[in-house]
Order: sequence, then structure tokens, then C-alpha cells
Amino acid sequence: MAGVQVSNVSRSFGAHKALDDVSIDFADGGFYALLGPSGSGKTTLLRQIAGFDFPDSGRIAIGGESVERVPVEKRRIGMVFQNYALFPNMSVADNVAFGLSVRGEPKAVIAAEVQGALDLVQLGKLGGRRPHQLSGGQRQRVALARAIITKPRVLLLDEPLGALDKALRVGMQIELKRIQREIGITTIFVTHDQEEALTMSDRVGILRDGKLVQEGPPEEIYNRPKSEFAATFLGDANIFRGESTGNGIRLPDGTAIFAGSGANLAPGAKAICAVRPERIRIFTDAAAPDTANANVLRGEVSKRIFAGNSSTYFVERGGQMLKVIVQNTGVDKLAEGQEVVLRWSPESTVLMAAS
Amino acid sequence: MAAQVAAASRSGLRSALPLLAPAYLWLTVAIFLPLSAMVFFSLMTELPLSGKPWAFTLENYTAFFSQSLYLTLLLASLRLGLEVTLWCIIVGYPAAYVLAKVLKGRSREAIFLLVILPFWSNGLVRIFSWAMVLREGGILDTALNAVLPFKINIDLMYSYPAVIIGLVHSYVPYMVLTCYLTLQAIDDSLIEAGRSLGASRLQMLKRVIIPLSMPGLVAGAALIFVPVVGSFMEPRILGGRTGTFYGTVIEDQFVAVFNWPLGAALSFILLAVVLVILAVASPVLRRAM
Amino acid sequence: MATTRVLEWLGRLYIWLLLAFLYVPIIIMALMSFNVSPFYQLPFEWTTEWYASLWQNDQLISATWNSLEIAVITTIICVVLGSAASLALYRYEFRGKKFLQALLFPPIAIPWLITGTAMLIFFFGVGIGRGLFAILLGHVALALPYVIVVASARLQTFAPELEEAARSLGANQWQVTNRVTLPWIMPGVIAGGLFAFAVSFDQFVVSYFLSTPGQTTLPVEIYAAIRKGFTPEINAVSTIIIVVSMALMLLTARFFKFGGEK
Repeated sequence: MAGVQVSNVSRSFGAHKALDDVSIDFADGGFYALLGPSGSGKTTLLRQIAGFDFPDSGRIAIGGESVERVPVEKRRIGMVFQNYALFPNMSVADNVAFGLSVRGEPKAVIAAEVQGALDLVQLGKLGGRRPHQLSGGQRQRVALARAIITKPRVLLLDEPLGALDKALRVGMQIELKRIQREIGITTIFVTHDQEEALTMSDRVGILRDGKLVQEGPPEEIYNRPKSEFAATFLGDANIFRGESTGNGIRLPDGTAIFAGSGANLAPGAKAICAVRPERIRIFTDAAAPDTANANVLRGEVSKRIFAGNSSTYFVERGGQMLKVIVQNTGVDKLAEGQEVVLRWSPESTVLMAAS
Repeated sequence: MAAQVAAASRSGLRSALPLLAPAYLWLTVAIFLPLSAMVFFSLMTELPLSGKPWAFTLENYTAFFSQSLYLTLLLASLRLGLEVTLWCIIVGYPAAYVLAKVLKGRSREAIFLLVILPFWSNGLVRIFSWAMVLREGGILDTALNAVLPFKINIDLMYSYPAVIIGLVHSYVPYMVLTCYLTLQAIDDSLIEAGRSLGASRLQMLKRVIIPLSMPGLVAGAALIFVPVVGSFMEPRILGGRTGTFYGTVIEDQFVAVFNWPLGAALSFILLAVVLVILAVASPVLRRAM
Repeated sequence: MATTRVLEWLGRLYIWLLLAFLYVPIIIMALMSFNVSPFYQLPFEWTTEWYASLWQNDQLISATWNSLEIAVITTIICVVLGSAASLALYRYEFRGKKFLQALLFPPIAIPWLITGTAMLIFFFGVGIGRGLFAILLGHVALALPYVIVVASARLQTFAPELEEAARSLGANQWQVTNRVTLPWIMPGVIAGGLFAFAVSFDQFVVSYFLSTPGQTTLPVEIYAAIRKGFTPEINAVSTIIIVVSMALMLLTARFFKFGGEK
């Protein structure tokens, strides 16, 4: 087991900068998600760590040892591929055994290890099958067993759940997490699915255009995004644009919005405030004084979407459509066209520089 | 991704060359250089090797155009190619349709294999086998006389129809193969959709199935037409005296008359005709491949 | 519904008629090789004397050995050169790759009469001349494109992640090629090899132009015999050839589906 340090890694393909001075520290035993839209460089970064490709500059260390010029087969990593990449000409057991077998381990040792790995992924009885006889979820488990049997220092997962359907994916998320805890391996996991990143990982790194946008525990990124991109890519956010007042912004029409956290910006600079839809409360009259929720805006309900346990209201205010999510308490139901008052607290509001 | 590929391609040729060079060198020495040499020799009066004096000339080509014999024979060969191709379509297309759309499962696989199997067996031997059937006192003659109450003489051997039959027998599997591949790719639900819109079987065939299988038909036609135009062994065996075609004349220049420069010129003219045909068919061919 | 069934029935009947057209002449030719009459006269009387007399025909036997020898060597050369070339075409990207792939089609598409006569002229011109070596040169060139096309088709279905997966598990380049890539393309290579054997063993036109009286192959020898007159001996040797080449193709079909069925 070992941590992974990526320091100032850059990689270009022709004129295209796939990775641009990326530094990120993956602590020993952690579960990391690399999140980003397609083309953001997340897969490129994973392939650099794996050793399929070498950086133009920068350093990659696994367990403190520099590996940026070490080819993949000497890095002692385990990798699960997007489409599993099981060897079709081998049985499940032979697939799992492959890593030990190329190392020349004795047959008896291999057999025992294979059984152990298959038991761990709960496929103990399927060793004799061929990959094409397995379901998607089972293939996924075989790929995982094959990757961890060699006791790699790092486990790399490239969108491992992308090919599974929704229900199976949730089951596999829990399973993956259980196995990861059980063997305590440093795991780096590439995904474009924000929900997956939030639920599974200890830390998340968001990439965009080859740059690391923000990195930290999921709660921190969700509650304290540092940029509009981070705020809107990980979860949903209402964005207000205006001039900084130091502790918030002033909208073009003069309305003040107070932010409880965020960047230190000189008054007058262009700035934005972000607030999550579920943090906004919605009232039919402005009368009730509410000192905790100092941010107040008036608007008109333009659309309501009912989603069972919650309702999403789209409220129009000064040409901007705001999104508000209200838990379904069985009481309020607001009609489209109704005048409403929106309130939320400064603590729910993050100030950041305009991008 | 695209940029990644572009970057890889710079070093690609250096890694690929040692693996590619032997194969392509061989093809160059045994195919491409000979074809070029043929053009060169076709412009000579004599083979430079025979020790006789030689010079450059266009005589071999003017021979083709001034002596109506060669042009007539080329036209005869083109006609032969056309007729054989048409017969192959008539015989092969329905068979491909039945294979692709009527038969199912293992019986389809087995019959498909049976249809294309002869194609990969010796062509010379198969042509010879027709001599057994077609000659006077052969099987066709005997069988028909056994069945029919009156005496008829069937002697198709050494005739134009015999050449056609032998060539269709040789090349029809090609047509079945190419048409089968395109027909099989047509989704059955497309046919059902057409039928549900009220189209009759014939209308469906004319307006949907044949247009969609056109690439297979064209590919098959090109693959049959080209070698038939250059055939010489089949007309020799089955055509006898009537079996004089452009191909047999070329053969004669090389093995009987020993006028190699003229043979080269005739070969090159045939090559030009073939290349024009392939070029015309190539957009469709490329889609079919 | 009733018309559908009638049409289906007619379709099946048609296929069987086509199969009859394709196979009856061959079967008759084979039967005549077991008939006593040297003039193919009926009634049929069983004999194997024509096969026995094949053994006495030294010319035919030496031509057979030549054919087999050339086919085997052609197969080996084509498999080695063809696998290497298809692997390179699969693995690497470079300018002119499309052109190189397009170059594979002229040898397949140009009538053998043209290629054969062109080889004859060229080999004569550069001093290789005619004979078995020239025939081998020609056969390899004719069969090579088939092998490359067949092996490439197989490689197209190979997922490059498999090589990456093997490397991530610690396999070196040799282990990756040996244990993952080669097992995958093996059916394509075997099929390509059998194709090459068939192309060479059945090749008549090119061999015909490149052979000399002493150095000739079986089909050329048979052609010469046919032109002298039909004999049951020709039937016998033809039967042997057709059985061998059909068996070979059935074997090929086991390794390589002829497109379509996936």
C-alpha cells in the first residue's frame, strides 16, 4: 500500500494540452474520485499514474518512489477498465490468475490466491466460466478480482461502473467501497457521474481542460465551491452576478446578497454568489420576519415539477430563473404564476470571483 | 483523442516499417514491378533478351486498333463477361435471398458453406467436370434419352453455351456470397414495416430490398466480370474451336506464337479496361467491403 | 400465410437445385474415376485401376510433390509476412497507411492472366526465368493479400485494452504478445494460412505461364493432359484434388466465419 503524489504534471498531444501543471496528493488508503466532463484530462491523468503514458514534465511518485519513467508493467498497480477488458480466451480463474502467472508464481499458490480473490468478490463458484458467459456485474467483479490479486500498491478504476445499469450500479458502488475498505488499498477512480463521486469517495478532484479546478472532501467541495464551474458541475447551484461588497455582492438592480463564506474580494470587483436550490426557502408572503435568512428576493413561480419526495420550483426574478427544491411535507402547493418570496441564509451562500 | 492519434503517428511508421517491409517488398517484386515491366515491354519490337536488335515502337498497340480481329475478340470477351455476370445474378441473387431471409439457424450455416465451398476448390477441375456432363454420350445426353421417348442428341460440348455454363458454375458462389452479406444486413423489421404500410411482396422487393442490396450486387458483378473477361482456360476446355476469346489470344502470344511484346500490349489493354471498370465500381465496392 | 409457406418451400427447393447444379458435375466426375470404361461408357462397373495407374505416372507424381512443396512453403511465408504486416497495420498509425491497404486489392482483383503474363515477362527480364522458384514467388504474392485481409479482419475485433490490462498486471511485451494478442489472432492466422495453401495448391493460371516442362505443378500437368484428351486417370487425380481442397476449406471454415454470422 502506498500513497500517490502527482507533482506539476503536464502532458500535451500536439497543440492540445491534456494535462496542464496538475498537482494532487493521494494519501495512503484513501478513496479518490477524479471528476470532470469528457476531455477534461481525468482519464489522461489516470493513465499517467498507471504508466500507459509518460508526462512531458512533472513528477509522479508511488509510495515515495519516482515512477514517471517506469512502464506500466513495472509499477505494481491494479487497473479496472471501462469495459473490463477480460481476456476472452481464458476462463474466469485464468483471468484472475494472470498477474500471478506472468510473475511465475507456483501453481498451488496461484490456485489458492485465485479462490481467495473470487471469494472476496463473491464469485467463488464461477472460476470455470468464460467471460462471455457472465453478466455485466459479474464481469465487473472478475475485473476487480484480477486487479487486486497481485496486491498492487494502487488500484485504478476507469469509469468502472459506466457500462452497468442504474440499479446494478448502486449495488456495485457499495460493494466496491466494502472491498476497498477490506483491503485498505489506495484507490483512484475516474468518473463523470457526480453522484457516484459524492457517495463513494473520501476526496474528490475536479478537472477541467487539463487543470485541477478544486480538490478536497466531497462535503467541502459541495458546500464551499471555489469557482462557478465547481459549483455547477458538482451538484446544482443558483448563480448571481454582480459587484463585490466584501461580504457579498450587489446585483445590478441594487439588491444586496450576503455571503457567509468564500473568497476575499475587494469591494467593486466583479463577483458571483452561489446558492444550492435546497437551501432556499419559499414563502407566499413577505410579512414573517426571518433574521437568520437575511437574503430576500421576490419572484413569480413559473413552473413546478413534482418529483415525489420533493418539488422543484422555477421562480422568475428579474429575468433570471431560480431553482428551488422543497421537501414534500404534504402542506404547501404553490400555483404557477403566484408571487413568492425567497429567503436563505448567508451561511448557505458562497462568494467567488467571476470567471 | 484525435490529437493523441496524430502524435502517435509520427513514430508509427518507424515501428511499422520492419513489420511491413517484407510483405510489401515481395508484392513489389512479384506484382507491381512485373505490371510496370509489362508496359515497358509492350512498347518494344523484340524482347531485348533474345539477342535480336530491338527498338521502341507503338506497333503493338496499332496492331490492336488496325486489325479488327483483336477488337472483335475483346468485344466478344466483354460480352461473355456481361452474359456470365447476368446469369450469375439471375441464378445467385434468389439463392442469396433464400439463404438470408428464409433459412434459419444451423441449416442456413451449413447450406451457405456448401454453396461457397466449390468456389475454393480447384477451378480447372470443376471446368473439366462439366466436360463429363455436357459431351455427347455424357450424362446429360444419356439421362435425357433415358427419360424421353424419342431420340435426341445433346452435344453442348465445344459450344458457346458450354462456356457460359462452366463460367457461371465457377463464379456464381461469388454472387451468392456478396449478395448474402448485404441481404443479411437488412433488418427484418424493415420488411415488416413495409408490409404493414400495405406494400406487396413485389413492391417491397423492387423498392426496398433490391436497392438496399445493390452494393452486394455491384460487388459481385465486378468480382465476376473482371476475371471472366480475362478467362482463357475455361473457353479452351469447354469451347473448343468456338472458344477463341481475347484471353486465349493473349495466352497464344506467350505459349504458342511467342510474340511477347504483342501479348504484353494486349494484356495491358485488358488491364486498362479492367481498371476502368473497377474504378467505376469502386465507390460502391468500398461501401460493400 | 399459405402463400408464405408455398414461397418458403419454393425457396428451399431452389437452393437444392442450385446445390445440384454446383455438385452434380463434380460427383459425376468422381464416379467416372471409378468406372472401368476408358471412354466413360455406361453401364457403370467399379474399378480402382485408374487410381492405381496414377502411381505409375512419374510425371504426375513429381508435379504433385512440386505442388505440395510450393503450397507448404507459400503458406509458411505468407503466414509469417502476413501476420507481421497485419499486426503493423493494426497497431500503428502513419501517413500512407490507407494507400498500403489499398495496394492489397490489385493482386486480388486483376485477372490472373494479366498478373501471370506480367510475371513471366518480368522474371525473364531480370534473369529469374521460369521454374519452381518463379512459381513460388508468384504464389506468395497472390496469397499474401488474402492472408493480410483475413488476419486484419480478425484483429479489427481485438480490443486494445486487453493488451493494456495485461501490462497493468505486470506482463512484459513478450508475455503480452504471446499470451493475449497471438491467442486472439490465431484463428485468423490459421484461416489465412489455409487460404494461402488453397490459393497456391489450386493455382493454375500463374503456374501455367511460369512453369517449364520439368518444373511444373499438378494443375498445369492436368491442363496439359486434358488438352491431349480426356482419360479416367484425369478424373482420378481431379477427384483427389477436389476432395483435398474441399476438406481444407471445411477446416478453414472452422477457424474463420465467412463474414455475416456474428
